[in-house]
Amino acid sequence: MSANSVATARLSAGHERVLPSRRRALPLVGGIIIAALFSLLMILNLLPLVWGMLTSLKAEPDLFRFPPVIFDFAPTLDNYKRVIESGFLGNMQASLIYCVITVVSALALALPAAYAFDRFNFPFRQPLFLLIVASIPLSLGAAALLIPNYLYFTKLGLTNAWFTLPLIYTAHQLPMAIWIIKGTLEGIPKELDEAAIADGASHFGILRHIILPLSRPALGAAGVLVFVGSWNEFVASSVMVDSPALRPIQPAIYNFIGFFGREWGPLTASAMLAIIPILITFALLGRLIVSGLTKGSVKG
Amino acid sequence: MHPKYTGIQYIIPAFALLTLVLFSPVFYGVWFSLFHIQYGAATTFAGVQNYQDLLADPTLPGTLQRSIIFTGAAVSITIVLSLALAVWIHKLGERRGFLVQMVVIVPWIISTVVATLLFRWVFVNDIGLAGSIVKMMGLDEIHLLNSPHSAMALLIAVSVWKRIGYAVIILLAGLKGIPDDYEEAARIDGATPWQIFRRITFPLLKTPLLLVAIVLTLSNLNTVETPLVLTGGGPGDATRILPMDVFDRAFITYDLGSATALALAMFFGNVLLVLAYVRLAKWKT
Repeated sequence: MSANSVATARLSAGHERVLPSRRRALPLVGGIIIAALFSLLMILNLLPLVWGMLTSLKAEPDLFRFPPVIFDFAPTLDNYKRVIESGFLGNMQASLIYCVITVVSALALALPAAYAFDRFNFPFRQPLFLLIVASIPLSLGAAALLIPNYLYFTKLGLTNAWFTLPLIYTAHQLPMAIWIIKGTLEGIPKELDEAAIADGASHFGILRHIILPLSRPALGAAGVLVFVGSWNEFVASSVMVDSPALRPIQPAIYNFIGFFGREWGPLTASAMLAIIPILITFALLGRLIVSGLTKGSVKG
Repeated sequence: MHPKYTGIQYIIPAFALLTLVLFSPVFYGVWFSLFHIQYGAATTFAGVQNYQDLLADPTLPGTLQRSIIFTGAAVSITIVLSLALAVWIHKLGERRGFLVQMVVIVPWIISTVVATLLFRWVFVNDIGLAGSIVKMMGLDEIHLLNSPHSAMALLIAVSVWKRIGYAVIILLAGLKGIPDDYEEAARIDGATPWQIFRRITFPLLKTPLLLVAIVLTLSNLNTVETPLVLTGGGPGDATRILPMDVFDRAFITYDLGSATALALAMFFGNVLLVLAYVRLAKWKT
């Protein structure tokens, strides 16, 4: 699922307050319950990553040892070598290119659209914006959309090309990006525009010199979510392109499941390669992801 | 240019793309579904024949029922757990709360394919970690994927695990939007924590809760990857739900006629949910 639900956050967030947290000394029982809950969360959410990482570094015999070894094994990169020999670097490269094109084009289309919806009055503005809002959750239903989409793109000859997936990803992520950015534009005072107009600036000049610099945090938040959503996309990726050279990582990993069968070494190695960029993004920009999800908190 | 149309030129590129990729395929799909399909191409006009064939398909009621059970269970469990987690995180304070939030959202930022694969390896596989621990404790091996009920239960569990982070973030934002004074005032008046939650927090969270419920329903009802990677729809057809059925019809058995009919039926189901979403979202212009 992609970040389609920013909309939800925008209304619910209300006014974000930074108040000093009132922390009272917790009774012992409460402390134990909290520690237990937290450990359970850590186990459920982080253990698959850690164990997957360890598995990907094990040679075949170490994988089947019982009881399982945790650290006492000779780490090897053989699994990674096998995955890379199967062409996984090509898949990663394809994914990376798709994601860069998608992030750039989604933001380039979303910023002017958000600007128009926030600052101008034009015929059908309200119903058109409604359509954008409706498209945010609609692109969650990719499974239902993709069959008609596949038929239509086949008819037009748009499948199986380098631009096929960026086109689809951008369309799926665009409504959410418009919504996030519009939320921030609402907070930029209109007086700035008026002053610029009085100084002889054009509408495009305002967009370029006032709106663009001031909406950078929103562009960042939207961009991160667009990146994560496109990197993780599976359904469109597996349907719309056939040729191995165009195949991004998610369907490539899915194919590995059939190809490597129960060989969990190479399988986990490919999984690790797929999540490294996401984890790096998350470590550096985790706050942006959360704020992207809850964007628009300034105005309920 | 007339000032009335200045705004329009800024939205044209975005709408051109959305029309190409999101809107026109729906109309094309409806048109296509009214024809007999051979080798992926429309041949002669068929009217509602494809839809009739779909309705006559004896496997459809079962698939529908499983989809409803799966979605209903996954959504309600996710909502209850995420609400509890969000309330807990909200009380933790800024720094610790943020840390927990980051841990909670990890399965959500990883792709469904990879998350499901890793979950299966660690918690389900018989030579995986959980399986080995069970064996070390001298218990019998458990093959969750071999029985229809436990496979479905597992599918629900993975879905909850994968999507709960999103729900927590949204509900947490909702909680932060409730002014502290309300709770303060109630406490001074002698309300118990449960009363405060029941009478103040919960009613004020109604909108975010409903929105989360709709989004979760949409994403569970349309998930292809979770059953595909976890169970492959098995054992038998026990975890075959609608989206997987659509994809198998289209790309495994090449029955594009019924696949398109079913996909469109799902699409209009999605539209109903989206309308509810938009109503709640009370968009502003």
